[in-house]
Amino acid sequence: MKNKHEGWGWMLAVDFFFAGMGGAMLVIAGAADLFVGEGRTSALASFLGAAFMGLGSGLLIFELGRPFQSWRVFMNPKAILTAGAWTMSLAIGAGFVYTTFSFALFPWSGWVLVRKLTAAFLIVAGLVVAAYPGILLGRLKGRPLWSGSGMTSLFLTSSLVTAFAAHYLCGLLYPPAAIGDVLAKFPAVTAVLLAVQLVLWVSYLWVKHSSTAAETIAVKRWISGEYAAAFKYGFILAGTLLPLALALADAPLFQAAGAALTLGGGLVMRLLVIYGGNADRTWLPGEVQYRSRLPHGDEAFLKAWNK
Amino acid sequence: MARYAIVFDTRRCIGCHSCTVACRVNNELPLDMIYNPVTTVGPAGVYPNLSMVHVPLICMHCDNPPCVDACPTGASQRRDDGIVFVEDRKCVGCLACVMACPYGARVKNHATGAVQKCDFCKDRVDAGKLPYCVLTCHQKARVFGDLDEPASEVCKLVNGQRAVRLLAELGTEPYAFYIYG
Ligand code: SF4
Ligand code: SF4
Repeated sequence: MKNKHEGWGWMLAVDFFFAGMGGAMLVIAGAADLFVGEGRTSALASFLGAAFMGLGSGLLIFELGRPFQSWRVFMNPKAILTAGAWTMSLAIGAGFVYTTFSFALFPWSGWVLVRKLTAAFLIVAGLVVAAYPGILLGRLKGRPLWSGSGMTSLFLTSSLVTAFAAHYLCGLLYPPAAIGDVLAKFPAVTAVLLAVQLVLWVSYLWVKHSSTAAETIAVKRWISGEYAAAFKYGFILAGTLLPLALALADAPLFQAAGAALTLGGGLVMRLLVIYGGNADRTWLPGEVQYRSRLPHGDEAFLKAWNK
Repeated sequence: MARYAIVFDTRRCIGCHSCTVACRVNNELPLDMIYNPVTTVGPAGVYPNLSMVHVPLICMHCDNPPCVDACPTGASQRRDDGIVFVEDRKCVGCLACVMACPYGARVKNHATGAVQKCDFCKDRVDAGKLPYCVLTCHQKARVFGDLDEPASEVCKLVNGQRAVRLLAELGTEPYAFYIYG
């Protein structure tokens, strides 16, 4: 069914991907520093964590109808989007500052207490950014695919799994300053999180499928509808099961390939969630039929009218 | 302080869409924007026992409006008299309110990039006039007024008949009420 209704586009999905992954990358960097020791993760990963969030914010700005007034999104402290914008901005700044501690050319690189405090802040702010898209979507009561608290755990898990994969790839490109003991464990952690993510998704769709009529319709798009192929082959097979198997292989090349596929899976998931959620609202009486009959803008009479 | 509400008497609505056209004219909306569609359910049943109902939709001017809570810029606001409106100058077109509104009441103006919606013709209401759609409805299927005024027709309809709210279970407390046959 085609219905003429506004919705978010691919740029928001890609923003959710980069922002969530970037936030979780900073969580991992901060946690490794605080609980294991300095220099256990790649400096490239903490730099890219902040940069990915910046990239996500840039895409979000272009998604706006009035991008040049984007500063206004910081203005309503009661709105969750405002809270997200502030947290993300602070996390980006803290992520870049944290990266500088890895390089002796910065005079403050030896300030241990400041580094540790920054790491602690990164854990908190990064976790918020990683879970935030799920919190935002879960609050939209009229959107059957998204509503509820389940989206938060799905987004948090996906952010963490993609972040571990990205950390591993960064570590291969630019190894940690100290020993690579922590990094060597990341493929196994990624595999465990991929398995958890699979269970969470199957449970989520199963619960939604047996809930309200609107939720059942929304889930059917994933199981047998227009999103089924992307979900089964793009996300489950290529983005979850295959990288899980590769992560368990004892060869860095396979593990790197698995990590790259994990990132692809995370992106496919975001696109599916955004487009799938856009497709359905809790429709009012007669609304589906009404909207399906509205012109889509390319009709001859509309073109003639707008000439 | 007034608390404005609207009642749709679907027994009277004949689905002529005059209100939709009137709204467009009064608000100078482009062709692809509609604030107040009128949907049709049916015909259902088997001849001769057929039924059909027309359902005028609109922003419900919710008492607990998720669109206002979702708006990061403060462009979406609710007045003390219950009218929910968008301050165009502040809107960045993020669509958070569009996604938050369970009633599909908000539309993006692709020419300006901002989101717009029914504001009960607040300038007319402030001047003591009726919203344009209410004025236009020749079947008197739309009744607008102050719910805090016991003598008002809207108050009598809401309290005296089986007026229902759409998607009441979501807790948005819409101030548009429907009377079915
Ligand atoms: S109907 Fe939608 S736009 Fe209108 S007040 Fe309620 S949530 Fe907001
Ligand atoms: S689109 Fe405009 S009115 Fe709606 S939430 Fe965004 S800024 Fe507020």
